[in-house]
Amino acid sequence: MSGNLIMIGKSGAMAARAALDITAQNIANASNANYARRTLSMAELASKGGIASEPGTGLSGVRPDQVLRTNSLFLQNEARRTGSDLARADAELSGLTNAQSAVEQAGIYPALVDFEASLARLASDPLDGALRAAVLEDGRRIAQTFNIADQGLATAVQEQQFNADAGVAQVNVLTGELARTNAAIARATPGSSTMAVLHDQRDALLGEMSGYAGLGTTFDALGRVTVKLGSETLVSGVDSFALARSDNADGSFAFTVGGVATTIGTGSLQGQSQAVQGITAISSDLDAVANLLISKANSAQSTGAALDGTAATPFFSGMGAAGITLALASGDGIATAPAGAGPRSRDISNLQSLRDSLSVNGPAAGQDALLFRVSSGIAARTITRDALSTIADTAGTALAAETGVDLDQEATNLLRYQQQFQASSKVIQAASDIFDTLMGIG
Amino acid sequence: MTAVTNSTLAFYRRASAQMGTLRASSETLQNQISTQERLTRSSDDPVAASQLRMLSRDEKLADIDAANARRTSENLELAGDALGAISEDLIRARELVLWASSDTMGAAERARIGEEVEQLRLRILSSINARDAGGNALFGGETSGNAYTLSGSTISYTGTATAGEIDLGQGQLLSRGVTGPEVMNFTSGGSPTDVFTFLGSLASALQGGVADPVQAARDGLAGIDDAVESLTRAQTIIGTRVAWIEVIEDRQIDQSLTRAARTAETGGVPFAETVAELQQMLTVLEASQASFTRLASLSLFDSIR
Repeated sequence: MSGNLIMIGKSGAMAARAALDITAQNIANASNANYARRTLSMAELASKGGIASEPGTGLSGVRPDQVLRTNSLFLQNEARRTGSDLARADAELSGLTNAQSAVEQAGIYPALVDFEASLARLASDPLDGALRAAVLEDGRRIAQTFNIADQGLATAVQEQQFNADAGVAQVNVLTGELARTNAAIARATPGSSTMAVLHDQRDALLGEMSGYAGLGTTFDALGRVTVKLGSETLVSGVDSFALARSDNADGSFAFTVGGVATTIGTGSLQGQSQAVQGITAISSDLDAVANLLISKANSAQSTGAALDGTAATPFFSGMGAAGITLALASGDGIATAPAGAGPRSRDISNLQSLRDSLSVNGPAAGQDALLFRVSSGIAARTITRDALSTIADTAGTALAAETGVDLDQEATNLLRYQQQFQASSKVIQAASDIFDTLMGIG
Repeated sequence: MTAVTNSTLAFYRRASAQMGTLRASSETLQNQISTQERLTRSSDDPVAASQLRMLSRDEKLADIDAANARRTSENLELAGDALGAISEDLIRARELVLWASSDTMGAAERARIGEEVEQLRLRILSSINARDAGGNALFGGETSGNAYTLSGSTISYTGTATAGEIDLGQGQLLSRGVTGPEVMNFTSGGSPTDVFTFLGSLASALQGGVADPVQAARDGLAGIDDAVESLTRAQTIIGTRVAWIEVIEDRQIDQSLTRAARTAETGGVPFAETVAELQQMLTVLEASQASFTRLASLSLFDSIR
């Protein structure tokens, strides 16, 4: 029966070689985040008990049974969910931080303080042309800083919208890929390497997609995925539906899947939506500060007289942070004296009332409150983001620990299968020896 | 297979996350030390940032208030100097009138004294029209022109009724000066007059404008005394205001120091603590890098031959 022994040895050597291949594949993919560790399960080859057969005669070795892919649905889901949360917090925070930079670095607050300081200096000598010109130039600077801040906010909004559009396009590409992967999974043999590769690909696509939007996923027995976005189905079997985006009045985004409205709970798309909503609110707050300045300065002008004694004209024109412009042509137009004071009056009561109205609940206080609101919102969101980041890191690491490659384990496996291969070759050697011995008898 | 593994990927991820956090913290500390500012943007500490904004605004406005106080004080001192000159002129006039009131003085000499009194009157006019550092009339109230103008032989006040007030910060309103009438007007023998009218009529009386110039001179002495008294009162007012401004300036300096201390407390970096913290952070980072290298080089593949 040496023939049988040779066959058993051969099957053992082949199985060991296949297992070595899998081990090598694992080692090669040790740093691939989308790769889940594979193991090869073995199945014994034996004829199942015929009546007449003697014990031991039905053995015919081993065969590689299935390529098993280590998977943890819970950890995969957890990693996706926390990843979505983190992406949302990151997107919102980055949008608001841009808005904060736009408002803070434009230097509106220092410009408002400088304007008040110039007015105070003008009070010491209201007829001094240089001091009047300084007030005028500081007024011009305020108007420009408001314009710059407004442009910065508009750019921040555009950036978020651009990113969101890119995100929507990317989600649509990914849903198409996912539908194709589902189709391929249906055709692949369960337990094959191909199936494992397809499952890896499916999880990678889902991982990438969940960065854009929070997904609801269900899997069938083969591993095909059905993806839901809010209440709407995004991918089902081989069908995928297009995601589209439009703007709401308050700046937030509205989403549709296949033309039907849906909501996105989390992910970078939702974060961008929240960021734009936040920036729009900041923008209208900034407009309110600008309008406060315009109304205070202009109402002071309306009760005063210019240097030549004529009725003063408005200081600023336009509305809001985008529209505010300096209207006065010359410093002589600043109404330091009350109306009817006559030409070249040194009466500063009108200037004083402007200073008083600016210093109590004036634009500087408004701007400070605005900056405080923005920055404390960012500070709170930074804490949330850091917490979510820790959670997402932990989930990612837990997933990697569960499904990733352990090089020490693979080294042991390498040794183990190598030994199995060597032992199997010894079995073949033994079969050959037995055969030779039998031949030698004759 | 659900065996516990030491996933290589997870090991590197954990290690890089931990070392990255340590490195970021050290860099933040290093940045704080080199800029000497704890906050780089408002969201680092919104409350402190708002306080710092308020402090910087107060500081900026206080600088202007201090400059305005200095300027007002200088103008008041100039006004004081002018009043001193006027006072000397009035005393000189009194001396002359005293001579003129003597019976031993001849009519011609008395007329010359009258001329000198007239000259003193004009000198007082130029003193009262003195300008401040900004070129505006010291005693003209809020006018941009002269306080008094001479037309023919009449000198009349052409300024405004009040001097106006300046805000020296924190609700401290101070009158910018005194007006001409506050200095020059006085009551002589029950009837209100001013220095120029009084000296003008006295001068013309001494030059023979009245029947009894000697008596006019004797009557004039009392009037000049009243004028000097009114002037002295104005000098006292100015002196008090200068002293008041000094008090305000002292308080401004105190407040500025307090603000600087609060700014350093709110937005500054405690040097020793931060350096110590950085050193601690660096020690931990170094240790974790060293242990990471040791662990990473620990591979079974090296041992399998």
